[in-house]
Order: sequence, then C-alpha cells, then structure tokens
Amino acid sequence: MIIIGEKISIIAKKVREAMNSRDPLPIQELAEAQWKAGAHFIDVNIGPAEERGEELMTWMVQSIQKKVKAPLCLDTTNASALEAGLKAHNNEWGKPLINSTSNDPERFVMLELASKYNSQIIALTVGKGGLPADADDRMVIASEIMARAEELGVPMDDIYLDPLILQVCTTQNQAKHSLNAIKMFGELGMKSVVGLSNISNGVPKQMRSLIDRVYLSLLMYEGLSAAILNPLDKELMDVVKTTDVFLGNTLYADSYLEM
Amino acid sequence: MSFAIPKESYNGRVLALDFGKGGKALMIGGETALPFLAFEGEVPNKPVIAYEIQDSAPDDWPDTLKEIYKDVSGGPVTWAKHCQDKLGAKAIALRLMSTHPDRENRSAADAAKTVKDVLSVINVPLIILGSNNIEKDASVLVAAAEAASGHNCIIGKAQEGNYKTIVAAALAHNHKLIAMSELDINLAKQLNILITQMGFDKSRLVTDPMCSALGYGLEYTYSVMERIRLAGLAQNDATMQPPILGDIGIYVWKTKETTAEESDVPGWGSLKERGIAWEAVSATAMLTAGSNLLIMRHPDAVEAVEKTINELC
Amino acid sequence: MALSGIEIFKLLPKTNCKKCGFPTCLAFAMKLAQGGVEISACPDVSEEAKKNLGEASAPAIRTFSLGAGDNAVKMGGEGVLFRHDKKFYNPCALALNIKDSLSGDEIAAKASEVNSSEMDRVGQKLRIDAISIEYASNDPAKYEAAVKLAAEKAPGAALILNCGDPAAAGAAAKVVAGRKPLLYCATEANADAMAAIAKENGLPLAIKADGLEALSALSEKVQKLGVENIVLDSGAKSAKEILENNTQIRRSALKKKFKPLGYPIINFASRGDSMLETSIAAVAIAKYASIVVMNHIEQWKNLALFTLRQNIYTDPQVPMQVKQNIYEISGPSADSPLMITTNFSLTYFIVSGEIENSKVPSWLAVMDCEGLSVLTAWAAGKFIASKIAAFIQESGVGDKVSKKELIIPGQVAILSGALEDKLEGWKITVGPREANALPTYLKSR
Repeated sequence: MIIIGEKISIIAKKVREAMNSRDPLPIQELAEAQWKAGAHFIDVNIGPAEERGEELMTWMVQSIQKKVKAPLCLDTTNASALEAGLKAHNNEWGKPLINSTSNDPERFVMLELASKYNSQIIALTVGKGGLPADADDRMVIASEIMARAEELGVPMDDIYLDPLILQVCTTQNQAKHSLNAIKMFGELGMKSVVGLSNISNGVPKQMRSLIDRVYLSLLMYEGLSAAILNPLDKELMDVVKTTDVFLGNTLYADSYLEM
Repeated sequence: MSFAIPKESYNGRVLALDFGKGGKALMIGGETALPFLAFEGEVPNKPVIAYEIQDSAPDDWPDTLKEIYKDVSGGPVTWAKHCQDKLGAKAIALRLMSTHPDRENRSAADAAKTVKDVLSVINVPLIILGSNNIEKDASVLVAAAEAASGHNCIIGKAQEGNYKTIVAAALAHNHKLIAMSELDINLAKQLNILITQMGFDKSRLVTDPMCSALGYGLEYTYSVMERIRLAGLAQNDATMQPPILGDIGIYVWKTKETTAEESDVPGWGSLKERGIAWEAVSATAMLTAGSNLLIMRHPDAVEAVEKTINELC
Repeated sequence: MALSGIEIFKLLPKTNCKKCGFPTCLAFAMKLAQGGVEISACPDVSEEAKKNLGEASAPAIRTFSLGAGDNAVKMGGEGVLFRHDKKFYNPCALALNIKDSLSGDEIAAKASEVNSSEMDRVGQKLRIDAISIEYASNDPAKYEAAVKLAAEKAPGAALILNCGDPAAAGAAAKVVAGRKPLLYCATEANADAMAAIAKENGLPLAIKADGLEALSALSEKVQKLGVENIVLDSGAKSAKEILENNTQIRRSALKKKFKPLGYPIINFASRGDSMLETSIAAVAIAKYASIVVMNHIEQWKNLALFTLRQNIYTDPQVPMQVKQNIYEISGPSADSPLMITTNFSLTYFIVSGEIENSKVPSWLAVMDCEGLSVLTAWAAGKFIASKIAAFIQESGVGDKVSKKELIIPGQVAILSGALEDKLEGWKITVGPREANALPTYLKSR
C-alpha cells in the first residue's frame, strides 16, 4: 500500500511557524523522518494559503525535495499555489499527487492542472453542499469525476478515489459506507485513498491510535490502495505490515516487522 | 404472493418509569415496539403531557400565551392549582426561572421554598426544572431535590457540566432525573453512561436529547429521538432505553411564528391559532419520533395533542 | 433483488454515447441503481438486458405524479423507513376536500382558497397541492359541475375525483382529463369499471379496502386489469390506523419487496375540529403518507404543516443552512459586540442560543459557507480571510457599530493576522473555541 506522510501540515504549530518564518529545517527534518519511515509521498498541506501562496508552495517543494528523493502530495485549495508547486516539483522520483479535486465546481480546476502537468490526483467523492449518504452516492460522484477526467485526458490510473472518511464519533454509519465505497472503487478497477486520521477526529486522544489502526486494517481488507497517515506512528505502520501479511501481499518471516 | 404483517421483533424494551405518588402517580415508557406500533409489541403506557409553570411571572412569553395565565401566573402556587384543577393537568413542570443569574437571581433556598409550596397544593406529579444555567442549576436543583424529598419527582436537567451534584441529590432523595445533551445521540449515550457509573440506576433516568421547534431544527431532534429508540429496541442498548422527554414549549414560544402580529406577516393567518398549531405540531412530531413525556404551555395545544394521543393508543 | 451499479454497468453497451443524458455508461448505471432514471433512457441496451434490468431496477415504491403541469406533485420512489438512513425524496401532497353538495359559491370560495394558498418559506414556494371533490350529492350532473367549477377556480391544483360511482366519476374524468386527476376510488365492488375509466383516460387510480390483506388482493387485481399508477387507501381513519397501516405498507414495500403495496399512500385526516385535524395530519406527514386530505385549510394551519413537511423531507446529508445576514440578538446597539460564524444551521442555533443565554445584546454575522461548520469551512477554503473581509465590507455592518471590532471563532484564530490586513481599520479579536464558553466570555468583556 502507498503511504502518504501527513505530518507537514499547517494545522501543526511547529510547521506553521516554520512556514511563516521560511525556516526550512523543521520541515526538512519532518520530511526526511517520514520518508525513512516508509512514506512514498510527502503531503504538503499549506492550508487555503491566501497570502503569497505561490511563493510559499514553491519554497516548500524545493526545500523538501532538496533532502528527500520522493514525490510530493500537494495539498491546498488555492489553485495558483498548487500550480506553482507542480512547476517546482522534481519528477525524477515520480509524478506529484494533487490533493484534491471533487465534484464541487470550485475544484474542477485541479483536474485541469493534473491534465496540464501530467500529474496524479486525489478525487474526493463529494459534491457541492452536502455529504454523500452512502457508498452508492459516492459511486455516482466517482463516475461523474471519472467522466470529467476522461474528457480532460487524465488516465484512470492517475486517479485515487477518496470516499471522504468522516469522524466516527458523530457520523458513525459513515465508517461502514466508506468501507463499502473502497470495495466498490476496486471493483471498478480504480485506485483508492483515504485521509485516515479523520476517522478518529473528535474522540479522546488516548483512543485515536487504536481507532486509526483497526479502521486501517479493515480498509486494507476492502482493497485500499493508498492512505494519508502518520508514518512516524510505528504501531500504525506495523498494522500495515501485518495486514499485508494476512492479505498475502508480503511473505511472512519472524522479522517481517523489521523490514 | 399474499400479504403478511411485517413485524419487527426487538430484544430491547423502553424502561418504564413512574413518578409522583398516590392515586395520581403516573407511569411512562415500558414499550417493546416503535412508537404506538402495538401490532408488534407492548405499548403499556400513554405518553404524558405536563403543563409548564414558572416561579415568577414570565416576561418573555408572547402576549397570546401570557393572556391565558394572566390571573394566575403571579405566583407558582396559584398557577399550579389552576393547571391541576381548572385545566386538568396530569402533571406539572415547575421551571425555576427566577433563579437564573440574569433574572431575579433568587437563591437555592428560595427555590426550595417554592417547591415545597407548590407540592403542598397539588397531588399530581411534579417535574422540577432549573433555569438552564449550568452553575446555578447545580445548587438550585440540589436544594429543590431535598425540599421535594419523598415526592418521587422528576428533576433536571443534569448536563455534562453539572451532572455530578444533581445526580447525587436525586439519588439521596429518591427522585427521577432528566439527563440532557445537545442534539447528539453519542453525547446522550455518554452522559447516561457517566450518570449510571455514579450508581444511579438507568431505570430512574429520562433522556432529553434537546428539543427544537417546528421550523427551527425540529428534524434534528426528530431523528436523534428515532435513533435513540432504535438503539434501545433493535440493538438492545441499555443506556438508550430510558423514556424520552420533549421539552416543547420553551422552544416553540420564542419563534417568530408564535409571536409575529398578523399585521406584520400577512398571509400567516390568526396569531392565536398559529401559536397553538406551532406547539401542537411540534409536539405531535416528537410523539411519532418516540417522546414519552412532553412539557407544553398552551391548554388548547395540550388538548389537541392529548386527543391525538388517545387516538394513537 | 436490486442490482448494484456495477452489475448494471456490466449489462450496458459501454459505448459512452451520452444519448441517455449521462456522460458515461457508468454514470448512467449508478443513477439507475439508485432508481433515479429508467432503463428505457438507454437506446442501445439489448432486449434481454432491458428485461432483467427493468425488473431489478424498478423502484420499490412506484413513482408517478399527482396532477399535471408545473405544480404536479411527484409521489413514491422512497427508499428508507427513517429519514436519518438516507432521506425522504418526495414531499407529500396536501389536499382540501370539498363536497359537491355545497352551493356553487361555496365551492368556488373553497377552491379559490386553495388557489391562493401559496406561501414562501426559506426560499421554497409551498401550497395546498390538490382538491378532492367529494360525490355527496348523488347527482352526476351536479358532480360534474362541481368538478368543473373547482378546476376552473384552482387552475394550478391537482384534482382528486372523490367519487365511487363509476358513471359519475367517468363523466367528470372526461371533463378534466387534461389535469390528470386521481380517481378515488376503486373498491372490490366497482374495481372493473373504475379501472376501465383509469385506463381509458390514462389516470392514476386510488384503491380502498379494509385491511392490508384485502388491499393487497385488490391491488393485484387492478394491476392485472392494466392500471399502472395506483394509490393506496387502507381505510385508515384514526391516528393509530394511519400510523400502523402506513408503516406496514412502507415496510412491506421496502423490506419485503412486496409489489402489491409498492405504491404511494393516501390518508384522510378529516376531523371536525381543525386543530385536531392539524395534529392528525402531522402524524400522516411524518409517517409515510403521499397525499393527506383535510377538511380545513386555514393559513395558520398551512404554515405549520408546510413547515413540518419541509422539516421531515429535509435531506439529512445536506447541512441545513441559515441565510447569510447580520443577525440582531437581544436588541443590540452601536456599542454591542460583533461576532462572526458560518451558516451551518446547527452552528447558528447553538451560537445564537449561547449569545441569548448571555443576555448580552450582540450582532452576529452569519456567512454563507454552504452549511459547513467553522473548521470544515476554513479547510475547504470557504471561511477564509479574503472571503470574510468581502462579506463584512459588503454587509455594511461597519456602519452599525461604533467600534470596528470583529470577534472570530477561536478555532480559526489562525485567520486573525490576514483578516486584519484585509479589513482595514478593523480590530480582529479571537473569541472562544466552543460556543458554550460564549456567555462567560461576553459577560467578562
């Protein structure tokens, strides 16, 4: 499974301060640590980035790729900042991943960027105003996004469908619907991705890790292709490895956790 | 293909709860089916409507409602007697509004005296409500519980921020207790768990998932109540089996529809009937969603809803 | 059993020809699985697939309209028993019953009342949708005249020909056939004749029997006679019968896929006392009626029942929204504090409720963020400094307050710097993270 490291986010105070002062060190350290822990992509979440978004994203991409030989997942609602990131991205280690388009017309531009820059893209299966009620609703939206992608010439292989994971503490039923959606995306021959920690938003801190781990294992069972998560959480990464053993994706050996 | 009655059988049961004492004591809950669906289970007790009265003349009720009680609302004792004797109230809900720090800020001792005075003139069961000020309710309801000791009242509302002292008082003086959370079934379950973890038996609880008026979020309350009922019956979730309260009047009688003059809203029809219908429809919706106990204000709305209850049972 | 979208997709031609109106066969298949379209929209599907799909993709409760034209009311098509499971799709029609034995003036007056019943509530135009003309005179000529008169006086309303005499009903149906009236009703006694009228004029037909077993048998009979659009009356009168029968009908259709009861329901809530009738109608609206017929339609009652119908049929997945506006709470003055939040209705109800509790007169700016809560709206780029600044400036609230200070939710403290840059001359203050801290916060200011 593809791991997208989530730690570089404007929500984190340390990262935010480093972004504001353009201090590359804390960001590079986080990127390197995640990469070494097994992340295939490093997510770069700069928020809505209204102020000097283009310059900030360019600086982030260049700073990180100086230290880490991995593609990045560019995460902002600001399209011009995102485009600046795509221009700055070094594709030597793989195509960048755009986070994200959806069925909200405001986000169509992201799909156009994916086409223009031959990039991969996450497609959230939500529309404007209102959440999908169940897996069927997500499939309807997925099919609409796929049709749009086809028109723009974005290969289906470059799209990761995201069912939108919602917090279990207030929208419990959605946990099941998202699992179903992952399975259905797979049946379509499509790749899938989730923002894992959304599942445990709002629950007491000491329970979050358990909830993330169990849910990830179920998602993998349904055929999840990629996850945005914290690769520095060793127990979580061990769940990935162990689930991969059960599913026959890796060969068992006593020391499989050390690999 | 021929028709067969599509019955659901549930493992759970809504807990039966009695309040008041003597011949006028009441029983609510106890059903083993979704609201009023007697074809698939027992529905042993009718929902009860309690008349709301306050411990000082309400200043924030619309005129059409104040007018109804103008001769009696000066004091809770006359008001309570009026509801019981003239309006035929089956239960009375005394809201201790004057204890609110932004109203008269009356003391817990004053509130205790009011409770005693009211209990001395009525024989129907009493529900004792605070002013919904988290800090103040914690002391007021403790004093009220003590004053009402032995009367098997329902007191409330215990909320996340103040439940500990109120639960202890209800426990010490043998009352039933309303646990209120804000429009969230998960929070409702959590609060019921916390309260029972203090040694308060779940069979003495009433769940208030927070009411809302027609047109002002009613569908949220409606769906939370339906989900609570389904959890209690279908999943046999013991924490979701206490009877449900719909505290209707307080939310209804501050809406524009119950207060706006006919001249200001041409096309909305008679203000008097509009207010009554707003309370009656809000209450009926809560009944179909699973309410076992309603607190209401207007006698004509109570009458219409009681007739509906009689048709439903 | 219903097929999944993917199973349906496999049976489609996969040409992506777009003739069905959808961009791809997959998109069409997904809509088909949800019962939102009919297989006949695909011109190239094989006959065999059509037959398989037609049965599998037919909705559990048949969908058709009451009446014709712009105000026709779509009925049926429901997929759940509880609104929180997904949503209720087609709000029920409300109808006024008028006896044909009344004088012409009385009939005209009542029909006009229906005609002018429309009101606007949170952006939706709502009205009494239909008139039921009851055959009480036992005089076919009088009935026809009454139907004609009611139809004339209420040109937008759907019509229900409440007449069990096939001769009278048939004559009246011809006069107003273009309005697609609902024939009410076929019983065991007159089913053949009524079905013939329905077929001849292409009308929906209501059927009535005592109890659901008899109703199911009658439904199968009428269906075999060639009537496709059927409306069910279980004979329910009391609130209990309405609730129990409607529940059993809906459950049979959805959970057992029992076709004879897979149709919309009509209930008569009629009571002498209009307030009681209001309450009984509320039961029918909440629990599965597609048509509710009443004896009285005062404006106060319509407003209450329209609102209930709107509440019950609100999509629970779409966050209910409050209108973007500057709201006044407890009568604020120029010196009162100004706060801002998003237009998710639950956010608004809780924030405004806490401000009310504080008794501190305040201004509350509610910004359109498509019904998202504060943090979600920020993350989605909808509650951000530039948009907030534009909203505050356009709202003109700056002229209402003496001190230009805006209190923002603590959860988006991150915005304060950028907001101060964009809102020149304003002081941005970070308020509490949670609404329940507002009373203490406001009082301590």
